[in-house]
Amino acid sequence: MALLSVADLTRDFGGLRAVSRFSFDVEPGQILGLIGPNGAGKTTVFNLITGFLQPSAGHIALEGRSVVGLRPHLVTRRGIARTFQVVKPFPKLPVRENVTLAAFSHEASRLRAEALAAEMLERVGLGDKLEVPASDLTLGEQKRLEIARALATRPKLLLLDEPMGGLNPREVDGACALVGQIRADGVTVILVEHVMKAIMRISDRVVVIHHGEKIADGAPERVVQDPGVIAAYLGTRVAQS
Amino acid sequence: MTRTLAVAALLLLVLAPPLVASNQFLLHLGITVLLWTLLGTAWNMLGGFAGQVSFGHATFFGVGAYTTMILYLKAGLAPWYGMLLGGLVAVLVSLPIGLICFRLRGPYFSLSTLAVAEIVRLVALNWEALTNGPVGLLITTLPRATVGGRLVNWESKLPFYYIIAALALASMLATYRLSRARLGAYLLAIREDEDAAESIGIATVRAKVLTLALSAFFAGMGGGFYGLYYRYVDPDAVFPIALSVEMVFIAVVGGLATVTGPVIGAIFLTTIGETFRERFLVGHLIFYGLFMMLVIRYLPEGIWGGARRAWAGRR
Repeated sequence: MALLSVADLTRDFGGLRAVSRFSFDVEPGQILGLIGPNGAGKTTVFNLITGFLQPSAGHIALEGRSVVGLRPHLVTRRGIARTFQVVKPFPKLPVRENVTLAAFSHEASRLRAEALAAEMLERVGLGDKLEVPASDLTLGEQKRLEIARALATRPKLLLLDEPMGGLNPREVDGACALVGQIRADGVTVILVEHVMKAIMRISDRVVVIHHGEKIADGAPERVVQDPGVIAAYLGTRVAQS
Repeated sequence: MTRTLAVAALLLLVLAPPLVASNQFLLHLGITVLLWTLLGTAWNMLGGFAGQVSFGHATFFGVGAYTTMILYLKAGLAPWYGMLLGGLVAVLVSLPIGLICFRLRGPYFSLSTLAVAEIVRLVALNWEALTNGPVGLLITTLPRATVGGRLVNWESKLPFYYIIAALALASMLATYRLSRARLGAYLLAIREDEDAAESIGIATVRAKVLTLALSAFFAGMGGGFYGLYYRYVDPDAVFPIALSVEMVFIAVVGGLATVTGPVIGAIFLTTIGETFRERFLVGHLIFYGLFMMLVIRYLPEGIWGGARRAWAGRR
């Protein structure tokens, strides 16, 4: 059975249909890349899955149980964690406290929550910055902090919203390795990303969204040669030539 | 070290004045400072820790004051029990307010609390059967009470001083416990980023409603004490916007999200207010405003927050 199944997902903002009858499944252990031009509806799909927005129509189910209508914190407790496109750390709190708060979602003891936080931060390479305020980290470090924070909720499914945006090539390599490591640890990943090199390298499957609709779904190397996808990114003239 | 100092200063503040002051004015000043400490501390739980700036806390103060007065005048319940019930009724009132206003965020939340406070003030003004409207409610004599076999002298200010000191201390203790509890940690996360807090499994609305209830409880008890002490309440005395704003000032000037901050804020603002009122009958609020501006410009963390930073920097 699919870990996450999304069916006919639709969301209207006034007269604008941001997401339209969008369907896809994610199998356990997959890394799914979700790509599309700017404004295609990728982040809206994330917000719908995680409960930050309510769908106008459609179904979302984790392991067969619907998560539609749940508030975001309850979606998290069901096992879906996320990061944000524009990072949202708790800026004045120490790095370790940022992650400890997330560990509280399943760990009652502060001591054990802090130990788990330190372990997660070690995994993303922030083990030496535990007591630094989150606002003092670089953008790349803040993105990794968000991943550690999301992992500390013990998710089954992790939604990463542009974890590599604004990173330099070396940091992108590090982030790719980290996502691979997360999957190896048994967490399924959906990745929104514009850095195509990264998407091609680490995704098992790619779904392309354009104007809120799915226009392609398949292996990365097949999807990038799809004329419809090329047209969406570069225009129809380029696609035909 | 800091903690021991704070506790010592606090005990001095609470125990010393009644021993040295047969001076009724000083005692009154002490009572005023402690009442404002209680109110600033109550506001600080929600405004300082959770970052939810309420401009409507006079609502809970007023509801507590009226509950105490009405229960005494109509049901004969002694005001010291009424005070406790005043706090509880304020909690009941806070629940629907929280569920409505917490749908909004940031400045919109603040404005909605201001609106609710005005609505409640107008209800109190016009519901004459219950509140006696603009005429207000008056207690002529307080019931007899004995402590340790001795009759309490209500004509002295001393018993009032002890009552408000106990309430202020209780509110500070509650703040201390809150800052150590899981809820307190959640509140800081909510203050820093509400979406991120929600995304890691924190029930943000529940945390805010709970904190508002706690805050309303102490503000309501403060209102009850006001009724007991002044023996007279009317809507303009216990529901004005100025009262809500003063609570904000005390917490901000003293130091947001600290246990000791509101005490410092209450001491400074009360004494400065009284001093300038005496010196300059006209325009004393200009100096008050100037003081506020200086603190916000040069001590954005409040007097206590700034002092703590300076102390930490010296070591």
